[in-house]
Amino acid sequence: MGLVFTKLFSSLFGNKEARILVLGLDNAGKTTILYRLQMGEVVSTIPTIGFNVETVQYNNIKFQVWDLGGQTSIRPYWRCYFPNTQAIIYVVDSSDVDRLVIAKEEFHAILEEEELKGAVVLLFANKQDLPGALDDAAVTEALELHKIKNRQWSIFKTSAIKGEGLFEGLDW
Amino acid sequence: MSRNDSKYFSTTKKGEIPELKEELNSQYKDKRKDAVKKVIAAMTVGKDVSSLFTDVVNCMQTENLELKKLVYLYLINYAKSQPDLAILAVNTFVKDSQDPNPLIRALAVRTMGCIRVDKITEYLCDPLQRCLKDDDPYVRKTAAICVAKLYDINAELVEDRGFLDSLKDLISDNNPMVVANAVAALAEIQDNSSRPIFELTSTTLTKLLTALNECTEWGQVFILDALSRYKAADAREAENIVERVTPRLQHANCAVVLSSVKMILQQMELITSTDVVRNLCKKMAPPLVTLLSAEPEIQYVALRNINLIVQRRPTILAHEIKVFFCKYNDPIYVKMEKLEIMIKLASDRNIDQVLLEFKEYATEVDVDFVRKAVRAIGRCAIKLERAAERCISVLLELIKIKVNYVVQEAIIVIKDIFRRYPNTYESIIATLCENLDTLDEPEAKASMIWIIGEYAERIDNADELLESFLENFPEEPAQVQLQLLTATVKLFLKKPTEGPQQMIQVVLNNATAETDNPDLRDRAYIYWRLLSTDPEAAKDVVLAEKPVITDDSNQLDPSLLDELLVNIATLSSVYHKPPDAFVTRTHSLAQKTEDGDYPEGDEIGYSESHANPANGAASPPSSSYSVPASVAPASPPPSALVPDLLGDLMGMDDSVVPLDQTATPAGPALPIVLPASTGQGLQISAQLTRQDGQIFYSMLFENSTQVPLDGFMIQFNKNTFGLAAAGPLQVPQLQPGTSTRTLLPMVLFQNMSQGPPNSLLQVAVKNNQQPMWYFNDKFSFHVLFTEDGKMERSTFLETWRSLPDSNEVSKDFPDIVVGGVDVTLDLLAASNVFFIAKRKNANQDVFYFSAKIPRGTPLLVELTTVVGNPGVKCAIKTPSPEMSAFFFEAIETLLRS
Repeated sequence: MGLVFTKLFSSLFGNKEARILVLGLDNAGKTTILYRLQMGEVVSTIPTIGFNVETVQYNNIKFQVWDLGGQTSIRPYWRCYFPNTQAIIYVVDSSDVDRLVIAKEEFHAILEEEELKGAVVLLFANKQDLPGALDDAAVTEALELHKIKNRQWSIFKTSAIKGEGLFEGLDW
Repeated sequence: MSRNDSKYFSTTKKGEIPELKEELNSQYKDKRKDAVKKVIAAMTVGKDVSSLFTDVVNCMQTENLELKKLVYLYLINYAKSQPDLAILAVNTFVKDSQDPNPLIRALAVRTMGCIRVDKITEYLCDPLQRCLKDDDPYVRKTAAICVAKLYDINAELVEDRGFLDSLKDLISDNNPMVVANAVAALAEIQDNSSRPIFELTSTTLTKLLTALNECTEWGQVFILDALSRYKAADAREAENIVERVTPRLQHANCAVVLSSVKMILQQMELITSTDVVRNLCKKMAPPLVTLLSAEPEIQYVALRNINLIVQRRPTILAHEIKVFFCKYNDPIYVKMEKLEIMIKLASDRNIDQVLLEFKEYATEVDVDFVRKAVRAIGRCAIKLERAAERCISVLLELIKIKVNYVVQEAIIVIKDIFRRYPNTYESIIATLCENLDTLDEPEAKASMIWIIGEYAERIDNADELLESFLENFPEEPAQVQLQLLTATVKLFLKKPTEGPQQMIQVVLNNATAETDNPDLRDRAYIYWRLLSTDPEAAKDVVLAEKPVITDDSNQLDPSLLDELLVNIATLSSVYHKPPDAFVTRTHSLAQKTEDGDYPEGDEIGYSESHANPANGAASPPSSSYSVPASVAPASPPPSALVPDLLGDLMGMDDSVVPLDQTATPAGPALPIVLPASTGQGLQISAQLTRQDGQIFYSMLFENSTQVPLDGFMIQFNKNTFGLAAAGPLQVPQLQPGTSTRTLLPMVLFQNMSQGPPNSLLQVAVKNNQQPMWYFNDKFSFHVLFTEDGKMERSTFLETWRSLPDSNEVSKDFPDIVVGGVDVTLDLLAASNVFFIAKRKNANQDVFYFSAKIPRGTPLLVELTTVVGNPGVKCAIKTPSPEMSAFFFEAIETLLRS
């Protein structure tokens, strides 16, 4: 029975892909997460000026994952990618305590966006492998996530380097 | 037409752009690809699809090479219009430049070079550096060219990142294509730079010579061009280089052939051995001849180049004159060039053949060609003394066929021949005189008249002949008039009899009293004075021995020839103009002048091509050549100013020459409208002026800030007369401590304001560095007075009477003194206030003037004053009395100045 469903599922969706945006401040680890998800290995990255897009297959569902550069100069152009987005992965550098405020502001600005009304929000409190990293609860607190109403959201502790927590997030 | 037409208006489509946008964001790859194709199609037919930039860029990361190429094409086209968004593409370029597929790597590098957006060049350096060291030669060669492109955008960056050294390393590359491209890139960079960047050494020389034999034809052209710039150390080296290059002369590609010829010619300068030179000349002839069997267009290019080569080394083609004989079906431009070369190659040995040809051409149908052929005969006569007689006889034969333009042309050249060989061929004058009636062109007439004057003593009826010309002296063109004048004087000096004496009276009278040509008048006065003071001296002057002429028409100046020879096989050798006369390298010019070691002379020499106002700022000495959008080294204006110095200058000068004002490019000092203290160091002085019937806003910008200011713009608020700028403000970048002056043409009735009239001009000026500045300028009303304001007395009276008395306004100026009447009248006339009449009323003088402001509104003015005493009463009558207040201000300013 399950097999029939999967078939039905794939025929229904064909090569239709769900669109996921990976956002976050610069140096949060977005690109590393993307390639960890796609290839399962850690690649050395350079700051993304622009974007990366890869197709990630997970549990028979194809995701089109867009990883956008986090530099201040590129942030204004995030909005170009908002239409037709099903989910957002917001990556926070948990060890960069100083910039959590900025991360919070950017995050709430995104939530205000009209075009992202229907999008699901997943937060990765990244860089848990580093000493001094805040845990998910502290990040939740810092980003004032409790203010989020009318939207599905969830937060996970991750470490892109070690590959921890990523797929748990996708499971969700 | 039909009722079906309504369907064109009711469409169900949303419009192309949103539709495309949707398709570009489709989840299906093939649909996206189709959409990009549609976008490119729209782009190629000229529709603006730049608004889809992000959507297209989003399709950039794809495995599909075809789609990638299309997106890149789009990027090249629109990155410039969306410089901010272009940054989104950077990451993809970086990724693609590391792609395992060399084609994609090269594609990425090539596209990167074509995107001329400053903001992202910086990010592209790393990938470029990688690609310069790529394993694949195709990528390396593309990267080499990219460096040249980058240099054009940001030269400093290229130097800082050491790309030049990488390029020089590429010269030693083992792939000849890479070598060729590196050479091309370096040459291009060298052209744009003043510093020596690319100099061949003996090691690179051998590498280039090796690569030369292996690379493609276009690569060979680049390498040959580079080689031609190489200065060989000695004759031996030059010989060696030439030896390696000579096989290229046999190449099928004419560009390669011409480049080789250029290279060999350059090196030949150094070769001393005559044997070697003779050998080389022999070798160069056949390839040049072969070029002439190509299509006419290529023939033309080859001929223009050969024209140069022949001037330097006539021996190369001395035996090949036959190939330059015109075929009946050659296009006219080829024929003309061939004629030119035939003249240059004509020698005692082949003159018979050549003359036969020329004679043949002179009977063809194309008038221009025939004329040129006749002229060619004359030039051969002047060039070859021994052939002169044969040439003359050919010319006489041609005159006998009595074709009007042939005869005229022949007479023109015969004049030159007489000049070259005086007292040799005068026997033919009789034949010439038979054809007097047919002459109708000024040049031919002038030539004939010269001949008559020069040989007046041998022509019995010279006076009659001249007299026939004199009949319509006033109608003749200046050229003929001048010749007639001189010829008559000569005639008179040679035959001082009754007839010529009368003639000379008539001519001198005509030429001094009735003409307005200053050349003619001056010449006539000189003759007149000479004749009246000392006829003997006149004889010495007028009938003096003339220096021998040579045929130097169409000969180029040796230094120019040198320069053109360096540029053989380029456009410059086709135009016969040095490259900087028609190519403007605006970008690099600014750079060079900043470096300070740029030779000013070049720029000045060709300032008519008017490169770019931007380079005027950096090099003030050249600026005075580019009036009126000019940048003049202006003097700082004194603070307390008479507002109307310009009117003053013009009026006080007794001989009112309207050209005077343009002759002083610096112009008068202007009142300050924005003091430096308000403008944060930017001081603007400005005044409305009127020149040659056009209103200008004369402005002076002085930059005493610490930074260069650029991007000046100006805007005028609505005003009573609707004054507005007629064009953009032409102010170049203003370096700290410098100033610039500009004349901004103005138009009237552009943005009229309603409400009460006033003469205040509200101006806003902005630049890229400072906030917007606003200032008020109270302009002088009289700049509006038009040149056609002069009225007949009767019209004046009529207008005065037709206007009701309520339209008359008057005002007293108790302290103004009218000193000299004439001075005042001139002064007012210079400002287009025209004097009509004057009458005495008791001890007072009453003057009447008229003036006109645009749209034909007349102003009738009555000035009452006692000359020399203070107190002027001014009354004015006009259909629009609300203007009178301005007029009083204006007249007050004028009278006080």
